[in-house]
Amino acid sequence: MPNTPTSSTHAPNLNIGGSDSSSQPSLQPLGDGSKSWSTLIGLASRLLWRDWRSGELRLLFLALVMAVTSVSGIALFTDRLEKALLLESANMLAADRVLGSGKVLPDDILDEAQTRGLRTASTLSFTSMAFSDSGNMLVSAKAVSDTYPLRGDVIIADAPFIRGAPIQSGPQPGEVWLESRALPALGLEVGDSVYVGEAELTVSKIIIAEPDRSGGGMVDNAGPRLMLHLDDVAKTNVVQLGSRVSYRFLFAAEELLALDEFESWVDTEYEGEYRLRDVRDESEEVSEALSRAESFLLLGSLFAVLLAGVAIALTAKRYSERHYDYVAILKTFGCTSPQIGFIYLWIQALLAIVAVVVGSVLGWGVHHIILRALQTVITVELPAAGFEPFVVGAMTAVICLLSFALPPLLALRETPPLRVLRKDISQQKVGANVPYVFGIGGTIGLVYWYSQDAVLTSVLVVAVASIAILLSGLSFLLLSSSSAVGMRAGSAWKLAMSAARRRRKQNVLQVMVFSVTIMSLLILGLLRTDLIADWQAQLPENTPNHFMMNISQPQIAGIEEFFEENGVQGNAFYPLISARVTKVNGATPDPQEDLDSDAERGTLAGGGDDAEDESAKGAARVGLSVGYGQGETNAAGSGAGSGNESSASEAGDETEEGEVRGRLSRRQVTWAAELPADNRVTGGEWWEATVEPGFVSIEQDYADWLDIELGDVIEFEINAQTVSAEVSSFRSVRWDNMQPNFFIIFSPGTIDHLGATFLSTALMEREQKILLNELVQRFPTIVVIEIDALIEQIQNIIAQVTSAIELISVLVLVCGALVLLACVNATLDERFYENAILRTLGAGKRLIMTSLLIEFASIGLMAGLVATLGAEASLYYLQEQVFEQEFALHYWVWLAGPLAGMIIIGGLGVNSTRGVVNISPLNVLRRLN
Amino acid sequence: MIEIHGLTKRVPTSEGVLTILNSVDLSIAEAETVAIVGASGSGKSTLLGLMAGLDAATSGDVLLGGHSLAAMDEEQRAVLRGQIVGFVFQSFQLLPSLTALENVMLPIELKGDAQARAKATALLERVGLAERITHYPNQLSGGEQQRVAIARAFATEAKILFADEPTGNLDTATGAKIVELIFDLNKEFSTTLVLVTHDERLAERCGRIVRLIAGEIESDSGAPLGAASNKADMSESAESASA
Repeated sequence: MPNTPTSSTHAPNLNIGGSDSSSQPSLQPLGDGSKSWSTLIGLASRLLWRDWRSGELRLLFLALVMAVTSVSGIALFTDRLEKALLLESANMLAADRVLGSGKVLPDDILDEAQTRGLRTASTLSFTSMAFSDSGNMLVSAKAVSDTYPLRGDVIIADAPFIRGAPIQSGPQPGEVWLESRALPALGLEVGDSVYVGEAELTVSKIIIAEPDRSGGGMVDNAGPRLMLHLDDVAKTNVVQLGSRVSYRFLFAAEELLALDEFESWVDTEYEGEYRLRDVRDESEEVSEALSRAESFLLLGSLFAVLLAGVAIALTAKRYSERHYDYVAILKTFGCTSPQIGFIYLWIQALLAIVAVVVGSVLGWGVHHIILRALQTVITVELPAAGFEPFVVGAMTAVICLLSFALPPLLALRETPPLRVLRKDISQQKVGANVPYVFGIGGTIGLVYWYSQDAVLTSVLVVAVASIAILLSGLSFLLLSSSSAVGMRAGSAWKLAMSAARRRRKQNVLQVMVFSVTIMSLLILGLLRTDLIADWQAQLPENTPNHFMMNISQPQIAGIEEFFEENGVQGNAFYPLISARVTKVNGATPDPQEDLDSDAERGTLAGGGDDAEDESAKGAARVGLSVGYGQGETNAAGSGAGSGNESSASEAGDETEEGEVRGRLSRRQVTWAAELPADNRVTGGEWWEATVEPGFVSIEQDYADWLDIELGDVIEFEINAQTVSAEVSSFRSVRWDNMQPNFFIIFSPGTIDHLGATFLSTALMEREQKILLNELVQRFPTIVVIEIDALIEQIQNIIAQVTSAIELISVLVLVCGALVLLACVNATLDERFYENAILRTLGAGKRLIMTSLLIEFASIGLMAGLVATLGAEASLYYLQEQVFEQEFALHYWVWLAGPLAGMIIIGGLGVNSTRGVVNISPLNVLRRLN
Repeated sequence: MIEIHGLTKRVPTSEGVLTILNSVDLSIAEAETVAIVGASGSGKSTLLGLMAGLDAATSGDVLLGGHSLAAMDEEQRAVLRGQIVGFVFQSFQLLPSLTALENVMLPIELKGDAQARAKATALLERVGLAERITHYPNQLSGGEQQRVAIARAFATEAKILFADEPTGNLDTATGAKIVELIFDLNKEFSTTLVLVTHDERLAERCGRIVRLIAGEIESDSGAPLGAASNKADMSESAESASA
């Protein structure tokens, strides 16, 4: 359709910059107004489709999808796991939140909770003697309201020592439920009467298990359980002013928010006097496992996002480089810079939308795979996932694109159109560093957004930045060492080295990216191994799950015999005696003000006699506080002045003064010839078997707190006598292993004569539990504490988080692989071009492939080496500071890291570039033209 | 159609400022066919780039279709290019990820023309590539690629066609066919043709030959000798320019 030529010499009017002339036809930029945008959208969409079809966008898209998948998958999983763990842990509390105190709690709190639509229950625990016609025994009584329990089930049965059935209520007024082993001790059967204080009550059921038994303190574990209705407490007349009692309000709600709001109401209304607690406050072991797992998941997803971001940056950079010509041609044909910008924005928006959809679906799949893998350990029904994880995934895609991909693509706008005539005209130099600024800014933003933790963000940013600078300097030095000139195509080795040197700048970047990737993978891999090993060491499979207290010296042989007869695995008997530090080197002890976290933990774990009542440290503390305090309490009755202090401790507002007094107050000490397992000597030496009496070994943090040094002489007050001992060693103690642990251990013969009771532990399988009955019948004075259910619960939770950690590691690995691939591809064109020319000039396939292998393998080796260095340094910080683990060098990694780098990078590189020898040089040159 | 006044282009180099074009004056009339010839480095491609508004001059001005390029920024020049200029390049400059048809459609689409597909198909048929419209550039021979590029150049019905060594990458026989095609289409569309070449035979086909040496016009054949067929369409300005 030829044009009719015009003979007009009038210049067409360009409608640019507002100038207009009505007398002449006007030229609009790209058609007019809205039409031009729809044209651009159409064009951009077609460009996207064509690029997709030609494979140019695949890696960028994959990187985006990976970012969304890993983030939304991890977020979905943690969201649901968190909810599941909360549910499971709620069962441990019989509620979502608990408020406990040693004194009467204000009813206003209950009223307010009910007004807010929360479900509530109350309990009251106390120790009391239960009487029958044929005997009496100390029981842990617990009175419950009608609505108890709010979460979990009480397991009851019609006869002792059988499997029970779940019920979601407590006994009716007038009835009591007794724990199996109380029946033989009291000579009772179901239906008989039992007396608690002044009240006569009927034994209607046997209580096999209750959800919040492990969460209680001493009053809940002093003897077998006797559960009664709250209304009957007054009749017993047992609870009076000054009695050792524990009041608890239980709360539950379907909405977490309602609980949080209520919690802050309590905090504000009572000015911090009362604090609601959840399972994290109740069980330090669970809480620690959870927070470590959370830190790990957070770190894992951060690495995943970072790596995906790097992959996006690399692929976007290559994509934009390949589009210079595109843009130059578009500009030649009249496209303006804003229109170019719009086209690439649109392409990214479409890409992001598709990636978000695909990534979210994949993320959903991934989290389902995790859940399927975990179905044996996740016993509770998982609550549905919220919408939030998907938002998190989508936001990640957007932020990644904006910070990593947008800058190089927008820089395309600056492409000079003259490039169509002169290929050597490249991108504008101005703003070449803008992408990095955006990338770094975006990364910091993402990390902060994820962690919501400014400190962690700055630490991570500073760490990665310093490692990057260090690595680039190091790799630059390594790569600069070769001074050869030219291609040196004589041998594969020289060719490879000269290639590495020629591309020094890109190679430094590559080594850096490879190093950071391998480093992230190493950190995560090693951390995972160490965490899991640590947990397994904390609660190995044969962890003793029953504590026996209040054993007298003559009973030991009998108990040992009993265990042997019945195939129960018993353990050492530790003497227990109550002691108080009165003087250090003849002076009154002057404790340090700063409370080291371990020391604090240890102290609370050990519990002073007057603070331990409701130690509020929950589950595992049962065993531990028993180890320190309960034996004496049982033997000596209620500790002095317990009422007020216990309530203070319960409310969580124990003053520093109180704490100091607690630490200096009585604590349970022991003597031993052998260093207990899980203890490590940190100073001095553990005594020989032939040691003289008069030495003492102190737990390290406690020693630090009291400013004790080796050789100091400490004076103790034990059973109204004064005992002096010289400090011969310091020890570190593993407080979370749920075994008897001691701050103070004397050398044999020092305090043996002062009269002690003994403590021991045993591993009893479920089917052996009936033996408890016989045990308490034969040795009626001993107290048995059952922590088997608790250990099982903790092991379950640990198994869950372990599996989660494994999966996250795999996800990060995939992200890492993607980065490696993107990084190799980033310099592909140049390698293709060079090697095509080499082949044209007569270089053999073998020479080229060997040289490529050597080049990539040496880059990999270098990257592996620096990655190992960086990983060990980061691990040192992470384990010591974040995960509270002890750091040890991983020697095998120093070999495995560089080797893996060499194999992976070498393999990937050769695999990606082998096309150079399989396609004819002409095709390569044409393809790249 | 094109007026050039005192056009100068200097670029900084490591050895000081290099003058590529030095105060060039030239006037090209509508529908004229002009060959710019010269040795490598004589500045012909630079002159073409400046005339087409692909680059900005150091000094002087180009009036392209009556619009002063010196007064425009790159964005405004882009709009002008899109409206009145077409290009054929030595290295074809087809987009590798687009098919032949899509390459030709591109400038039509950029103009917002809904008939892009039909027009592009018709043009590809016209250049003899009806059977290859779905092929990608790397599936086409050099001659075929240049045909696609020519179809693309005429796709927007541009008033001025700039060609940079259009046969430079082609063998003699193929080059000859391409030259025929360019001139045939040029005649059909009555386009002003500015062609850069160092092929004297190709230059001879043009109505006028401008010879550059070291950035200055060494000779200008003036009257369009080989453009007899277009003579009737020529404007006064062409004659005045040659005067």
